[in-house]
Amino acid sequence: MNKLKRAVNRSDISRFRFCFQIVSFVLLIYGGYLAINIGDQLPTFACVFDDARGGSCYLMGFQHQMSTPFDRMFTGRGIGILMGLMTFAGFFILLNKAWCGYVCPLGTIQDWITKIRTKTGIRYSTYSAPTFNKLKVIKYALLVLLILIPMGIGNSIAGLPKLSHDFAVPFCMICPGRTVLPLFNGDISQLAIDFSSIPKMVFSSLGLLITGIFFTGAFVKKRFICLFCPMSALHYIFSRASLLRLTKNADKCTRCGNCYRACDVGIRAIADDLEHKNIVKGDCMMCLKCVEVCPEEKCLQVSFVGLPIFESTEEGFFKRTTGKQNGK
Amino acid sequence: MENERAKAAQRTTRLHLGMEAMETLRQVEEFPDNPLAMGYFYKLFQKMFTGDSMLPENKQIIATMCVQVPDELIYATGAVPFRLCSGAYAYDQIGAEFMPAKSCPVVRATSGMLNINEEIWGDKLSSVVIPTTCDQKKKAAEQIGDWSYNVYSLEMPSSKESDAARFYWQESVKQFALDLQKITGRKITRKNVKKAIAKKSEAGQLYRKLHELRMSDSPVILGKDMLLVTNAFFMDDIDNWIPAVTKLLAELQERSSEKITVSGRNAPRVLLTGSPPVFPNIKVPILVEQSGAVIVADEVCSSSRLLYDAVAYDEEILNDMIPAIADRYLKPCTCPCLSPNNDRKRKLVEMVKDFKVDGVVYQAFSGCLPYEMEQMQIAKVLEEAGIPMLYVETDYSPEDQGQLSTRIEAFIESIKMRKRKRKGGIASAAGRL
Repeated sequence: MNKLKRAVNRSDISRFRFCFQIVSFVLLIYGGYLAINIGDQLPTFACVFDDARGGSCYLMGFQHQMSTPFDRMFTGRGIGILMGLMTFAGFFILLNKAWCGYVCPLGTIQDWITKIRTKTGIRYSTYSAPTFNKLKVIKYALLVLLILIPMGIGNSIAGLPKLSHDFAVPFCMICPGRTVLPLFNGDISQLAIDFSSIPKMVFSSLGLLITGIFFTGAFVKKRFICLFCPMSALHYIFSRASLLRLTKNADKCTRCGNCYRACDVGIRAIADDLEHKNIVKGDCMMCLKCVEVCPEEKCLQVSFVGLPIFESTEEGFFKRTTGKQNGK
Repeated sequence: MENERAKAAQRTTRLHLGMEAMETLRQVEEFPDNPLAMGYFYKLFQKMFTGDSMLPENKQIIATMCVQVPDELIYATGAVPFRLCSGAYAYDQIGAEFMPAKSCPVVRATSGMLNINEEIWGDKLSSVVIPTTCDQKKKAAEQIGDWSYNVYSLEMPSSKESDAARFYWQESVKQFALDLQKITGRKITRKNVKKAIAKKSEAGQLYRKLHELRMSDSPVILGKDMLLVTNAFFMDDIDNWIPAVTKLLAELQERSSEKITVSGRNAPRVLLTGSPPVFPNIKVPILVEQSGAVIVADEVCSSSRLLYDAVAYDEEILNDMIPAIADRYLKPCTCPCLSPNNDRKRKLVEMVKDFKVDGVVYQAFSGCLPYEMEQMQIAKVLEEAGIPMLYVETDYSPEDQGQLSTRIEAFIESIKMRKRKRKGGIASAAGRL
């Protein structure tokens, strides 16, 4: 057992993640060809607009459900909504934020773009902590909007007239998943502006614009779009209940900042937070690169149902870094 | 006439330096059962301090001060770093001729050393890199710049908390990399930075292994020897240092498996912190260990702070590797020139736990205000942790030896008493059961 633990702690998690991401990507994008359907409440962007998907993103159904008129929400339909949310949470607590780092196809594409950039030798950008703190609020605003706008379709809010059905699934309309993921099945139909009505035109134009930002952003800043992702915001509500945990033993921390440097999202708290044991923050994608680059014994720890599965160790740190230095 | 006097001063200083080094080495070697592999280090210091010149031959030398100058970048250019911070009383006396009486002996001795060796060293040192750490180092840098040295002031923030400070330091280090290329005439490339990081990391790993060996219940190496090993890193060729330490480590591991210890099982375990003990001024650590204690850990910039931390870069491009190197020298740094310096408090408390420390010896050089002032905060934290601390104010002169030894012996005795009482307490409690 100890041998196995040591081997895991010495391992190159990033390589494992790279492979895991490919498998998840294939499963979610092409799973339909093998008649695979993992579920319709997945806490990740398994895009509904991709016909061969192996599961579906929860947000689309969620937005539809939110347009239910209020009086019907407390009938049998309400149970359906609740069940959906619980299934979503059930999926989510299995992997916690690792859904973002290990499964999300949009995240995977961004990581691939980063790999291409690294090959070109172009440097990446970072935010300073204050800018980061300002920007990270946006995803919560998006989450509120993706609930409120559909609600406005089924209900009249604050005496305003009901919104037209052209406002349906507003987040899907601007999500780069809708435009990008079907491309992998040769479907380019989503790369268009819908002129059928003004709201649709605005949303689909925004969608294309955001798609452009998605690609350029990922090239400039690692995991650029994730900072604005409302799915990530929705995740965070359930994060504390998750079975997979990332914890920090502050006593061991020298605040060397290696983890903060390695963090693709740019979470400063990972290095500076000395108070909280649970170190999964709203923007974390649990890629576990921080654990890899921590040279302090058992300072950062990943556990599943309380069982430690991967820990930062001095030995592992030096094995990985010397491997890198020798060009492996 | 003037020239004659300078020559005479040089001669006497060298003589005093040699005597001082030999005396310290005598005390160091007097301890029983020194590891055989320590012989390399004893000889190294003897050669350095009694030979013609301390400087490495046939190498381009970038002289440094403090622990914040990135060695990796210097190695990457093919030059060698040479840390100047001096512990020699002979040089201290030279510095005292032109520096304020109340200045810190490290700065005084280092300035004195550069002053008296100006004629020869001026040409041999391609640059003297001085980070803007404490006020005295900063002012000394200006003064040294007036002599025939090419002084490079490496701008460092006085705090490390904000992102602004971190970016400022990263820019500063990037500029240093660019300037180093001009100074040495050699290019810093991805490949040679990678190699340099690997080399320093190899040294760091060896240091960490020694460091961890000292956590064991039966100490296999004395603190005075550890200090010589780390002090040697100041000026030894890293390619000689690594095999010498590897050999020492192997010997110590063997000792450890054979349960050979350098002290009695109940010897008080001491943690040394404060102003840096630099050879030949290691009188406080020697006195501590002469009194029957063993220094199991240290938190000083001439030892643990020098070698412990490790660089981790994410992408293999200069724009990521150089900031990664920069971070290594600022973020985990616990130099009291940084404010706030809570990391030092946390580190000390953690070390007390890890190394099962019975007492802390805090050495402050008179004139070294940052360490003198921080003492109050550290004393408070340690008191809360229930660990006794001895604060000693000292300098490079041998005059306070008697007074120091009385205080240190009393402190060590009191720890022994405490230990005995605690043990007795447990024994009697067990007896009652």
